Amino acid sequence: MNSTLTTADSTARKPMLELSNINKTFRLGPADVRVLCGAGLTVFEGEFVALVGASGSGKSTLLHIAGALESADAGSVMFRGQDLSRLSRHSRHRLRNHAFGFVFQLYHLLPELSVLENVLLPAMVCSPWYKACIRARPGKRRALELLEQLGLKDRLRHRPSQLSGGERQRVAIARALINEPSLVLADEPTGNLDPKTGQTILDVLRGLHKGSGQSILLVTHDVHIAAQADRVVTLQDGKIVDSTL
Amino acid sequence: MYKIFLCFRYLTRKGIVLFPVLAVWLCVMMLIIVNSIMTGFVNRVRDAGRSLMGDVVIQSDSMAGFPYYRQLQKRLALLPQVKASTPVISGYGLFNLPEFQVNTGVQVMGVEAGSESKVSSFGSSLFWQYKAPMQAVADLRGAGFPTTRTKLLAYAQKRLLAAAKIEATRQQHYANLKPIGNHAWFASIRQHWQVIAHEDYQQAVYKENRADRDLRMVQALPNKAFSSAAALRQAMVPKAPSFTPPPQAANRYLTGADEPKNGCVIGVDLGLYKRDRFGHYHRPPGVRFSPVIITMVPVTMKATLAQPQSRRFVIVDDSRTRVYAVDSKTVYIPFHVAQKMAFMQRQDLLAGGVRPGRCSEIQVLVRHDSSENNILAARKAIAHVVHQLELLHPQMEIAGIRVRTWDQVQAEYIRAVDNERNMITFLLGLMSLVVVIVIFLIFYMLVRDKTRDIGIIKAIGGSEEGVGVIFLLYGMLISSAGAILGLCTGVSFVRNDNWIHDHILWRIFGISIWNRKIYVFSKIPDQIDPHAVMWIVIFAILAGLVGALIPAILAARQDPVEALRYE
Repeated sequence: MNSTLTTADSTARKPMLELSNINKTFRLGPADVRVLCGAGLTVFEGEFVALVGASGSGKSTLLHIAGALESADAGSVMFRGQDLSRLSRHSRHRLRNHAFGFVFQLYHLLPELSVLENVLLPAMVCSPWYKACIRARPGKRRALELLEQLGLKDRLRHRPSQLSGGERQRVAIARALINEPSLVLADEPTGNLDPKTGQTILDVLRGLHKGSGQSILLVTHDVHIAAQADRVVTLQDGKIVDSTL
Repeated sequence: MYKIFLCFRYLTRKGIVLFPVLAVWLCVMMLIIVNSIMTGFVNRVRDAGRSLMGDVVIQSDSMAGFPYYRQLQKRLALLPQVKASTPVISGYGLFNLPEFQVNTGVQVMGVEAGSESKVSSFGSSLFWQYKAPMQAVADLRGAGFPTTRTKLLAYAQKRLLAAAKIEATRQQHYANLKPIGNHAWFASIRQHWQVIAHEDYQQAVYKENRADRDLRMVQALPNKAFSSAAALRQAMVPKAPSFTPPPQAANRYLTGADEPKNGCVIGVDLGLYKRDRFGHYHRPPGVRFSPVIITMVPVTMKATLAQPQSRRFVIVDDSRTRVYAVDSKTVYIPFHVAQKMAFMQRQDLLAGGVRPGRCSEIQVLVRHDSSENNILAARKAIAHVVHQLELLHPQMEIAGIRVRTWDQVQAEYIRAVDNERNMITFLLGLMSLVVVIVIFLIFYMLVRDKTRDIGIIKAIGGSEEGVGVIFLLYGMLISSAGAILGLCTGVSFVRNDNWIHDHILWRIFGISIWNRKIYVFSKIPDQIDPHAVMWIVIFAILAGLVGALIPAILAARQDPVEALRYE
């Protein structure tokens, strides 16, 4: 089976992220573990794609490669026509900051910062002046809007340790969206939550997708969660084996 | 910038950073204190040494001294750089105080009291002729000005009565000090309290004696008005110091024939006076105006020893130059007497002709400012005059005259003390490398602790450099915080070191580091060297940077995916 699968509908739209023939091998002690072997995936503008697969199938690795967090051993990653492997380090940092928004399974919030500060952090990274980041009304206004939208208006000054799992994940989503990225990369965002809270988080993501038309690549091993995406892509043994609407 | 923002957040919200801050703080404080005290010590020694000998010293290599010193002095007086000069005879002798059964070897200095006090601090080092009247003027300021002798008398009497009352109370307190418990543990506390009470009593006695001395000085004043403290000082402090015994010295002797004609000044640390913990000298009655016998062994021109010469003197005063080596060994006598005792006076030779009078050295005070360059220029001009005179009188050349600045004379000693200061500061600085290690270890732990944060920062677009800068800035902030705290506390400590030593360390904890019975200076010498302090602070901040460098590099190189997976 062809490892790069797209649907007939999707070919009509403009591709945003194209991963083709991705190989990745990790060295674990004396043995080499081949995680991805010729995997390919295309995410179109405004598309909500769910990447499913068993544990250890290479979903997260593929997501990291897609988000320029990790490099592939072979294959190409094109983002809006740009080959990520040819980008300078600085350009990759800028891309991660501006174009991608990451949501992780374990939330990954900075424990020393408040909810508002965590959300504002990517905005501070992209702006050269601390003052401009913190005090500039647009950045803060957007953060407040996002937190209000996610039902965290009353928790601005709280620390992550004072929040529940669902709240933390919502903060992480707000942080991922603060710089208005083109693509949200969510790695098992509901994996650490109970089904009800997980569904709430998924509703938030879907709402954002529908509201602002943001592209989302969501990694999950839960088929029920995946079923709510526009398209489900299945990864097995390091290869994309199925792509269904 | 997010780097500064995160630094401040980590600084304010991570308790562990208190340890490196504390380490830097203590190190900076310790270095500032040690450096300031050593600098104070070096400068005190330097100043004291300088005040002993003027700016330039003309010395002979020969113990027999050099001739034509008066001619030389006249020529020096013509130099625009020279303000004053004075000849000195220096030799070794024996000091015998029969009434107190004291026999000791001393250095005998023959000085012209008037001119010597213009060149050196000899005049202001004398207790009875300068320090005591100055103390009296300071004590009597409370009487208010303008004032009269009558008012001053009343005020001095009032002070004496008050001092006597305090003395009586303290004596009683000391005598009635009761045990606070029978347990052995209390013994040391009780002992310490007794020591403190005795010291308080000693202080009261000292103050009473001082008030008594003030009263006597007021009694000796002429019956007139004094418009200001300056007028009172003028009336109390003699215009020029003198070796002549004052009239009251005669009371010590049965007949006028018993009283020696010449006076002498003894070094305050010669061993006749007791010194308390606070640096005050307790002068027992009877020492002043006692007769002493001083014996000098003259050295001939052929460098052989001549017949020892003994003379009787009256102790008219004591001198405190603050240099222990001088105050514990020196006795001052009039120049013309010392010259005779050392066989350096003008002599008529049997073969005809005259052997001119000699002196051991000439001390010169430079006019205008006392800057090093000015003194060096003056030294050059003086050396030229000496050379010209040597050409005129070959006898002078044989004496091997050397012209040196005060700094050059005591260079060896000062250099040794200076080196000691630099060595101690350096060694403490080396010890302070521990700070670098502390910061390194804590930052290494911190980087491990913050591994996931590093991954998050990189995931949201933070660069390797950015992450490295966060930890470097963090290290600098920590060391800066410690350095500022160390600077403030170190400077405050140095400014109040004597108070802290006396009132906290000694009185509360019974710890005495600076015992004035032993040390020359009555106060812990301290002088903050801004230049040294600046370098200490800069090095402390750099230490923070160096300590944080390797952890910062490790953090910067951290793979974001591995960092995010770190547990």
